[in-house]
Amino acid sequence: MKLFARCYNGFENRRGWLVLCLLLLVVFCGWNLSQLKIEESIVAMLPDGESRVADDFLLLQKAPFARKIVIHLRANVGVKTEQLLDATDRLRDVLPAELFSHPLSGPGEMQSSPLLRELGDYLPSLADSADLQQIASQLTSEGIDHSLAADLAQLMQPQGIVLKDKIRRDPLDLQKFTLQKLRYLNPLPGVRLVQGHFLSADGRSSLILADTPILITDATGGRRLLDAFTQAQHELPAGITADLISGHPYTLANTEIIQQDMKLVLLVSGVGILLLFLLFLRRLRALAVYLLPLFSIAVALLVSSLWCGQLSGITVGFGAVLLGITIDFGLHVYFALLHGRGKRAELLQAVSKPVLFGGLTTLAAFAMLLLSALPGQRQLAIFAIAGIISAIILALFFLPHFIGQGNPAHELARRGYTRHIYDVVPKLRWTVIAIWLLVVILSAIQAPQLKINGELRQLSYLPPELAQAEQRLAEVWGNMRGRALIFSGTSDLQTALHSNEQIWQLLGQHQAQSESVSLAPLLASAQTQQERLVAWQALWLQQRDTTQQQVQLSAAKYGFAADAFTPFFNRLDQSPKQIDMALLEHWGLGGLLDNLLLKQGEEYQLLTLIPDQPELIKSLETELSDLPGVTLVSQTRFGRQLSAEISSDFNRFILFAALAVLALLLLLFRRLSDVLLALLPVLTGLLVMFGGMAWLGLEMNLFNVVAAILIIGLGVDYGIFMVCHGQQPESLASSRAVLVSGLTTLVGFGALVLARHPAMYSIGLTVLLGISAAVPTAVLVIPAIRVKRC
Amino acid sequence: MRITYLITLLSLCLQLLVPVTTQAEPLTLQQLFEELTLSAAETKSLASDFVQEKNLAIFSAKLLSQGRFLYQAPDLLRWELLEPVASGFVLRGNKGERWNSLSQERDSFSVESDPIMGLIAQQLLAWARVDVDWLQSRYQMELLSEPLNSLRLTPLDKGEAGFIDYLQVQFSADHHHVAQVLMVEQGGDSTLLQFSDVQLNTELSSASFQAPEFR
Repeated sequence: MKLFARCYNGFENRRGWLVLCLLLLVVFCGWNLSQLKIEESIVAMLPDGESRVADDFLLLQKAPFARKIVIHLRANVGVKTEQLLDATDRLRDVLPAELFSHPLSGPGEMQSSPLLRELGDYLPSLADSADLQQIASQLTSEGIDHSLAADLAQLMQPQGIVLKDKIRRDPLDLQKFTLQKLRYLNPLPGVRLVQGHFLSADGRSSLILADTPILITDATGGRRLLDAFTQAQHELPAGITADLISGHPYTLANTEIIQQDMKLVLLVSGVGILLLFLLFLRRLRALAVYLLPLFSIAVALLVSSLWCGQLSGITVGFGAVLLGITIDFGLHVYFALLHGRGKRAELLQAVSKPVLFGGLTTLAAFAMLLLSALPGQRQLAIFAIAGIISAIILALFFLPHFIGQGNPAHELARRGYTRHIYDVVPKLRWTVIAIWLLVVILSAIQAPQLKINGELRQLSYLPPELAQAEQRLAEVWGNMRGRALIFSGTSDLQTALHSNEQIWQLLGQHQAQSESVSLAPLLASAQTQQERLVAWQALWLQQRDTTQQQVQLSAAKYGFAADAFTPFFNRLDQSPKQIDMALLEHWGLGGLLDNLLLKQGEEYQLLTLIPDQPELIKSLETELSDLPGVTLVSQTRFGRQLSAEISSDFNRFILFAALAVLALLLLLFRRLSDVLLALLPVLTGLLVMFGGMAWLGLEMNLFNVVAAILIIGLGVDYGIFMVCHGQQPESLASSRAVLVSGLTTLVGFGALVLARHPAMYSIGLTVLLGISAAVPTAVLVIPAIRVKRC
Repeated sequence: MRITYLITLLSLCLQLLVPVTTQAEPLTLQQLFEELTLSAAETKSLASDFVQEKNLAIFSAKLLSQGRFLYQAPDLLRWELLEPVASGFVLRGNKGERWNSLSQERDSFSVESDPIMGLIAQQLLAWARVDVDWLQSRYQMELLSEPLNSLRLTPLDKGEAGFIDYLQVQFSADHHHVAQVLMVEQGGDSTLLQFSDVQLNTELSSASFQAPEFR
């Protein structure tokens, strides 16, 4: 530690060099900032390596509607369907094309589509074994007679005029088997198609789906998008309203709420820090202490960007917040030099030990983040390590030269610092210990109740109006955005189609087909279609003659002409054809193909949407593992996995950080009692943080994990300073330094508790709970247990 | 779109049941429309028997059937065949039921979920209000002198004209109601509806617009 004293003496008359160094640092960091590339994706905070969470996250983004803009129109009671559909078209047409591309209010008039006209011709390729069994059971004399009776009744009704040709071609209504296949193509559970529009079951809601070139993370573009939508809404007549649901309103709401929060938080913390400055520092040169974290952050940015290349926005944001704790080092040096008793070099030497070890323990805690499964946290570790090292260097080598000399007029005050309150009121010692014990016990009781939540959406601000819009959408249209996905991917389309069929069969075994969406019933692999054609021909080879005889008998009975159903039998004699992608596009199902058949490079991915039910997902996970190239992604399982990963990551972090801190404390103090004493603030801080969160019914999330590191870093520092303060003969005004540091942290970070954004609030609350417990433990409990040796 | 046009035409036939007032002199087309509009406005309910004669290639012989048609403003309809196969449908606003005694089938529908029934309902109710502008936009109309009191409607749309040749509506001698509707298809098939015992503004029970129960 004499190094610091020597350096101080060496540079005492050469401060110009130090200023030059700092200026060079500023220039270099400024240049680096101008080159900095920030990545805005949340993927950096998802586990990588062997974990499938990040892969699942990317796959979930491929779900239909995940990247679509959904406009949900609602009509009041009394508004006619026609009016709603007209309003839908009007709104669709006025949406600016540069912001809303490919707006779609429905698939168009199905009557004009060749699909319904031609689909029946492909029954041989579509009918699976279950369909063939049903068809065979229908070919009895009673079944045929029943069908022709129904045909007669229909032909006599007004609708008979429309159905005449259809009945001649399909008197047994076999087309119903083909129409059933279309049921499973609809990704909108509550939709009906009316006049070519998406209409809800109650006829009071319609939909417009659109793409947009605006990135979901682009707040400025999002504002333009929403403004254009608001403008377009003016076209809607009275009684019809519209909601826009996509990622953009969330981004915008979060950006705006963060801006509002930051104004409030900066105001409150600014006023708080100013008050602290006026109360405890009161010198212009003390501003150098506040500059120290800024320099540390600049150096951290420089080092981490050189090390990692592109930085995650979350890393930079959190890193900058976390490095606010480096003000501690400056405060301790400041108070020791200005309010301590002794020569400056000696005081610096004395304070350098706790500063260095405090820094090292914080460094060790952050270094443990290098083991994290989350790439963003590993970046954060590098960022923090660089920042803390630079802060220690700045605090011990540079700062002492810029904070000026102590004022002799403060001599009396200095005496005040050295006299602890316990010297004045000895009984207070036991009261403090009793209160502390009570708080610790209560927190220990509550802490085990704390849960970890990996739900990413919880980290974002969800405005009530957006939550209501989402709820309305789900109520009317079903859970269009929350289904689990099964991907069947391979470079060969036919293999992918075959896997898709196997998935569909599995869903059938689980009675889950009715709630699922899949291309499998309509588009089977060429091999399966060929097998069906063979089975179809075998059926009719066996049944054709008897069927024809029975049809003729019943036809005569009901007055049909002898050749009435010749078109039906001619159709049976035609060579059956297979269904392929070109045919689906010809039928106007191209949009559907885009949703359920994805092509990435050389790989095809067929998508099946299934209900996100835990039991079903669990069963399918095991069963699907036998199918090559098949991946199941579930939003609920994703949340569970992320929670588990965060939990495991956090446990590992806590364990290794505890071991590293313990090792450093043993190295520093070499006495178990001192080590335990130094750990009191951090343990109390963490316990109160966990217990307090559990008591308030809050759950631990990604941001709390990072905030917990802050508690650990500061809590250990407080312990080290207070124990060192008790051991060293020099008065380093440590109690005051710890108090000012704690209060600075509280007003700086605790003010975040005023924020409305969940992540900021979460950090604020965590820090408020942890630091509020750690500071009194350091300042009051440690001296109550261990009296300073003078 | 053929479906739409066909149903439109059929609906036209049904709605022309709305009676017209007696005129001493032959009416012009415009006068006839004015009369129809006026009568339709005064018609709260209508009940009529009818005989349907279908000459369709799909049948070996002429298919004769008898039935009954009921309408009550604003949106209740019953179209029912009594012989030879009891079948038909009722419509109450947007929802309805249809039945067929031969296959013993009875089911509900809504005009939104069943496009064909939706179009029938839409057209029937539109005609009940006699939307002359709409009618004139779709058909070329000619008042025939022979048979007397007859209207001939020819579709203007090529798609519809490719399917339906013409529609001929004949009013009763007293111009109170439509006596006969003939629809001739391009392929030669035709449907003839002859109405009788037309009663206006009689009280129709709500049970009239319920589907019958099968025993």
